[in-house]
Amino acid sequence: MTGAEILLEALQREGVDVIFGYPGGANLPIYQALPKFPGIRHILVRHEQGGAHMADGFARASGRPGVVMATSGPGALNLVTGLATAFMDSVPMVAITGQVDSMMVGRDAFQEADVIGCTQSVTKHSYLITRVEQIPEAVKEAFHIATSGRPGPVLIDICKDAQKAQGDPVWPQDVSLPGYRPNKEPDLSQIEMAARALSSAERPVILAGHGVILSGAQDELLELAERAAVPVGTTLLGIGAFPVRHPLALHMTGFMGTGWNLKAVQDADLLMMVGMRVDDRVTAKLDEWAPKAKTFIHIDIDASEIGKNVRPHLEVVADAKTALQALAPHLGAPPASRDDWLTQIDRWREEHPLRYAQSNGHLQPQDLMIEMYRRSNDEAIVVADVGLNQIWAALWWNYARPGLFINSGGAGTMGFALPAAIGAKIARPEKPVWVVAGEGGFVMTAQELSVAVKHQLDINIVILNNFTLGMVRQFQDDFYGGIRSEIDLTEMPDFVKLADAYGLVGLRIESADQIPAAFDLAERTPGPVLLDCRIDPDANVYPIVPLGKGLNDFWELPDEYA
Amino acid sequence: MNMPDQTPAAGPRRRVLSMLVEDHPGVLARVSGMIRRRGFNVHGLSVGPIDSRGRSRMTLSVDAGHAEVDQIEKQLDRLIEVIDIEDLTDEPNFSRELALLKIEVPSARQADLVAAVNDQGCRVLEQGDRYVVAEFAGKFETVEEVVNLLRQFGTVEIARSGPVAISRGARTK
Repeated sequence: MTGAEILLEALQREGVDVIFGYPGGANLPIYQALPKFPGIRHILVRHEQGGAHMADGFARASGRPGVVMATSGPGALNLVTGLATAFMDSVPMVAITGQVDSMMVGRDAFQEADVIGCTQSVTKHSYLITRVEQIPEAVKEAFHIATSGRPGPVLIDICKDAQKAQGDPVWPQDVSLPGYRPNKEPDLSQIEMAARALSSAERPVILAGHGVILSGAQDELLELAERAAVPVGTTLLGIGAFPVRHPLALHMTGFMGTGWNLKAVQDADLLMMVGMRVDDRVTAKLDEWAPKAKTFIHIDIDASEIGKNVRPHLEVVADAKTALQALAPHLGAPPASRDDWLTQIDRWREEHPLRYAQSNGHLQPQDLMIEMYRRSNDEAIVVADVGLNQIWAALWWNYARPGLFINSGGAGTMGFALPAAIGAKIARPEKPVWVVAGEGGFVMTAQELSVAVKHQLDINIVILNNFTLGMVRQFQDDFYGGIRSEIDLTEMPDFVKLADAYGLVGLRIESADQIPAAFDLAERTPGPVLLDCRIDPDANVYPIVPLGKGLNDFWELPDEYA
Repeated sequence: MNMPDQTPAAGPRRRVLSMLVEDHPGVLARVSGMIRRRGFNVHGLSVGPIDSRGRSRMTLSVDAGHAEVDQIEKQLDRLIEVIDIEDLTDEPNFSRELALLKIEVPSARQADLVAAVNDQGCRVLEQGDRYVVAEFAGKFETVEEVVNLLRQFGTVEIARSGPVAISRGARTK
């Protein structure tokens, strides 16, 4: 077998049946071997970044590692943003890049780049393969590392001569990684203390992050919250970890979180953070975050996340599911005062509801979100881009369970939504998939429309088109004295014509009354449909915490617009 | 809210980390990349193979006058090829560094220099017209002192090994 065949056989042994990729000089041997592996479906992307986001969306929608392939030099470098996106959000992915012949590495050969060096800080691990014998072990280790512990992207850079060389593969049974011990058992004394503290707190709040979803701990979280009568908020990536319409739900926390969530966090006497990084989008101004909390409990599988931003009193280094299962038997009855706390939260929920400008004559993005959610039957996947569209999609769908909201949270990568939705739809063809994107982010990866057309993927693409970089515009209006600088996107393609040019159906929505008919048509039409929604150019996200301020200072939609 | 301790220890303080790593190409780059990313200044670094199983011991001395220094240990431990990491700063330990020094010195002062060298526990390796080559091994704080003292005699060219450290007592890793 050639190295290329060994590689593809190794991928098949890891259960890979889809690769998103792009051929070139340094991975030609792999592409020559590909037809011999009919069990592997190859999706030819239009740009490697799109391929990386597709593999990412595939992984987030299915829980299986996504695989992306690129050639050396520029091909591999185009993956960097996609790898960084997956790395920040702990998404299991394996990237396979061609590299020049091993004898040429380091000599500035044609299309050579130091891909290992360039991707080191955005991958969980990486391998440079110079000899055919290294391939089976590297692939097995790469998938093990990508999918275990805190998941993340792993890159395998394979020299072209190793792809061409003949070898007799020795398939390893196990991996031997003495420095990698991803499964940590929770410290029982910390667990018992955490359970006691949580049970006896007067005003506790649980915040759930992506780790809860990655470990499949949503049932444990729900049971624990109900038994201990503790309200639960989520991070952006934790959306779906707790049903939004549950009476104990605080919905999204942080810089653009709901008013009742922020009130609860700022008044809590105990905060338990589960599977999250406690980053600056969650805390806003760190030294004003949760000022009344006497106890912080932090549960995370990655020890290096604990104490990075907030030093907890109790820490549990473990998988969220294992930790919550261990916690449950030690819970005691909540104090009588807990009812007052829950009543107070209900009051905040009534006093600080999510609101939007409903009657100014413009098409409101929230109207679109509400109608999409109504049609979703809690089944549809929505893949949001980055910007105002992201927060509208996060706040205005009442996510009932994990896996329905896919988004680039940590990296905030514009252009993520369309390719990630393509990956998600390929992973879960039975699911309705919606894209929500601004026109700015959409054009960053719009070339991937060809992939959706080629494979007739049933994706409905909702472009929230305000001809402006909306979130930057809101920041400039609200926090930079109203000085608008370089946010005008008037010169954009006519998206309906663009859809036509790419070979898909395009429709325009200019007012709320056009939504139902347009959505009906989109849902009836097989293959991708693009909806150019001309939204209120001044629509903002509320609540919002002014930059540099603490959560207490959140702004809501001004009454005159409500 | 509880923030990580922002107060640096009094005076400049160095943290000594001892790491057992897999001896692969690129390990050093991963370790140094992590340190660079968190903005730590490396004072000394030494690496050497310790056995035939492809493992090396890396001793790293970084500036500890930084709030996030605790975090670096956990972040280095997260690297796949770091098998074990230990902070020896507050542990009883032996630490040593080797320095090789070439001192340019006028003939008239050579005798004084050789006396000073011997007095400090250095060993003269070579002595020529207008120069002396000497070696010194000791705790790395002492190396600093000896270098400064010998500098008084003339221009000094220095090669230092970087620190190596091992914990005291019977415990082994």
